Amino acid sequence: MQTSRTLLGWIATAALAWGAGSLYTAYGGSSTTWLRSMYERKMTLAQAIASPKLIVTGGSGAHYTIDSDVLEAALDRPVINLGIDGQVGLNLILPSVLPQVRAGDTVVLIPEYLLLEQEAGLGERSGPFAIATGHPFVGHIPPQQLAQDAMLFGVPSLRALVKSSLDLATLKRVTGYYDDPLTEHGDPTLDKERIGEWWLLRIKRPAMPYPLERIAQFREDVEAQGGTLLLALPWVYADANDPETRANIQATATALSEIAPVVYDFSTLNIQSDPDLFTDTHYHLTASGRALRSQALAQQIQPLLAD
Amino acid sequence: MNFSEFSFWWILLLFCVPFFTARLVGQSCHLWRGSFDMVGIAALSMLLFFHASATSFLVFVVQILFNYGMVRWMITRPPAQERLIATVLIILDVCVLAYFKYLTFFVEDALGLVMPVSSSWRSQFPLPVLGGIPPGVSFYTFQMVAFVVDSLKARRKKAIEFMDYVNFVAFFPQIVAGPIERRSSLLPQVSQFRFKFTAANWDWGFRWLSLGLFMKFVLADNIAPYIDLQETANAWLVWFYAFLFTLRIYFDFAGYSFIALGIARILGVRLTVNFLAPYTSQSINEFWRRWHVSLSTWFRDYVFLPLMGSRKAWAPAFLFITFTLSGFWHGAAWNFILWGAYHGALLLLLRYAGRPFQKTVSQYIKQPQALSWALTFGSIILGCVFFMEVNTPRLFTKLLTLVTPWAYSWHNLSHALSHLSLNESVALGLTLLLAVGFLLVEHIAVWQERALAYELFLVPWVAKTLLVLTILLAANIPSEFIYFEF
Repeated sequence: MQTSRTLLGWIATAALAWGAGSLYTAYGGSSTTWLRSMYERKMTLAQAIASPKLIVTGGSGAHYTIDSDVLEAALDRPVINLGIDGQVGLNLILPSVLPQVRAGDTVVLIPEYLLLEQEAGLGERSGPFAIATGHPFVGHIPPQQLAQDAMLFGVPSLRALVKSSLDLATLKRVTGYYDDPLTEHGDPTLDKERIGEWWLLRIKRPAMPYPLERIAQFREDVEAQGGTLLLALPWVYADANDPETRANIQATATALSEIAPVVYDFSTLNIQSDPDLFTDTHYHLTASGRALRSQALAQQIQPLLAD
Repeated sequence: MNFSEFSFWWILLLFCVPFFTARLVGQSCHLWRGSFDMVGIAALSMLLFFHASATSFLVFVVQILFNYGMVRWMITRPPAQERLIATVLIILDVCVLAYFKYLTFFVEDALGLVMPVSSSWRSQFPLPVLGGIPPGVSFYTFQMVAFVVDSLKARRKKAIEFMDYVNFVAFFPQIVAGPIERRSSLLPQVSQFRFKFTAANWDWGFRWLSLGLFMKFVLADNIAPYIDLQETANAWLVWFYAFLFTLRIYFDFAGYSFIALGIARILGVRLTVNFLAPYTSQSINEFWRRWHVSLSTWFRDYVFLPLMGSRKAWAPAFLFITFTLSGFWHGAAWNFILWGAYHGALLLLLRYAGRPFQKTVSQYIKQPQALSWALTFGSIILGCVFFMEVNTPRLFTKLLTLVTPWAYSWHNLSHALSHLSLNESVALGLTLLLAVGFLLVEHIAVWQERALAYELFLVPWVAKTLLVLTILLAANIPSEFIYFEF
């Protein structure tokens, strides 16, 4: 009896602290807070859009690369941007889209190369995202990883708490990477600023087998709901003269084309050489870059939609 | 075991859930035998060691079998043979340690000083040359050696059971980084081992765990990212990083020791309290009575006293040698030898100049304790400049910087004060506030002459508060335990 009471005291203390930490992680201003918030906002926006619609999805390489207004005007159908974050992983990104797919919808998946390199379809934010969105068992996160992520979910860290507190004190609000408001199509409204020097990205390997299998499964899932899957190579600021990069992108395009139609510029392989098109990463585009990219994308998928 | 790795806790959980479920069911059906506890804790220790390093596991098992067999044989022999066997066994144990830990240093750094060493010596060496040292080899070798000596000196030569020896050497909470336990304290507790999950053990275990987790994950790990070893030119920053390292190494290692203490206590085993608030010390002597107690007493009992024997006049020289060796135990690099020699020299300085100095100072200062503390703490920080810097040329550059007046320029000071961002400054400031507060509480406990310097942290509500703070403020990217490298 006394042992139970002792244990209960300690467990209750730990649980209360962990609960408070979890509330901060999910709602208080951590990176997971903004990811969850962006995801939930996008899902709400998607529900309000009539079908047949065009759903664009992927990681931040989808989120920060399209202009839905441009696409909508060119394709004459509603568009929703459901791109989330590459580190969430394909195992979670793809199932998160499915509830929004209706008969007649077209899903355009733009997987950045990071997503295609994840051997298990998971990234470092898979666990926190799954827990924060209330779907911990979606995505086949290994039990040990899930247990670790669940434990750390309630451990916000001194650094994160200091950052949020200083944000509150100086800006009167908490901030985060995905904190900018979304348009009614789920597009970002701010251009991020690059702080470091630019360098040309090299794509060092073609798509791994597992992500390809996962995308093939996704095609079946989309089609089972009456939708159509299209794939698009991302625009990337990379070394166009590097034979390895070109060969790996070409091999990736070939492998993806065996799953679903792949749209890209056959001559450039969507490799861009102008850093002014990009914001903070090799995938994220400026507002004008997003408009340009969307015009090109619309032209490439127009014939496929007509089919 | 690496308590900062989640996989440690995961394996512990995966083992404990089925094992203790079976134990509970077995006990209720009267099928559970006490010896199953003994086998269970040995299996758990071995499993965790195997998980930490599969290759070292084999070496460890061979060492256990060899040491157990030799000690068992030793105690059956006449005294002269007994001594010979003990000597051979200790030499072999130390050779194993030397091979795994010091081989590269001996060849490249020591031999390399007097003759050119081929860069391909590793491939020509008859034995494989490992890149890193097996986990815990420095600690469990010392525990094995102490066991040999204590068995040799024991009045009643009684053979111990093999499983008891395994549990004595491999007891998982302390195998990797101590405390280095003695036969007289740990063996009686693990002989015929039985789990003792009493309310008091749970409670005290969690109190020590809370304290250890707080020290490691809140204090040490939130300080660690701010220590920059590359800085050599700015004297203010060299001092500042040495100060941060001084705090970090204490919170890191003491934190580990208290986590080990807490886990062991939950299982019903009381380990040695390895730290006794060392930064409250008012002399280097006192510091070494409070810092890494189990290592200090090991060197005293198994190196210093046997070396000195009856030659008491030579005690200072042997003291210096012992401390230099103690430094070398910490790592296979010159800086550790210098660090050990530095502390040995400080002890000699205190021995010969301490009293006259105190006499002089007390004429001018009413409370010389504060000055003694400041000088001791300052000496420890300076010692950390040696300890933290494995790169010898860079170490000498830093030492040169510390004695160069213009390295203390206003420009350097303003750089030191402004090199962190606002977020970093506030986070580090809060951590240092917690750290200084922690040390202050230690001072109060020592000043109040409490039985234990950590008594105030072990008060139930304080321990629970530390747990809450750990959960909320722990660094989410834990750094390695420093003493794992040793």
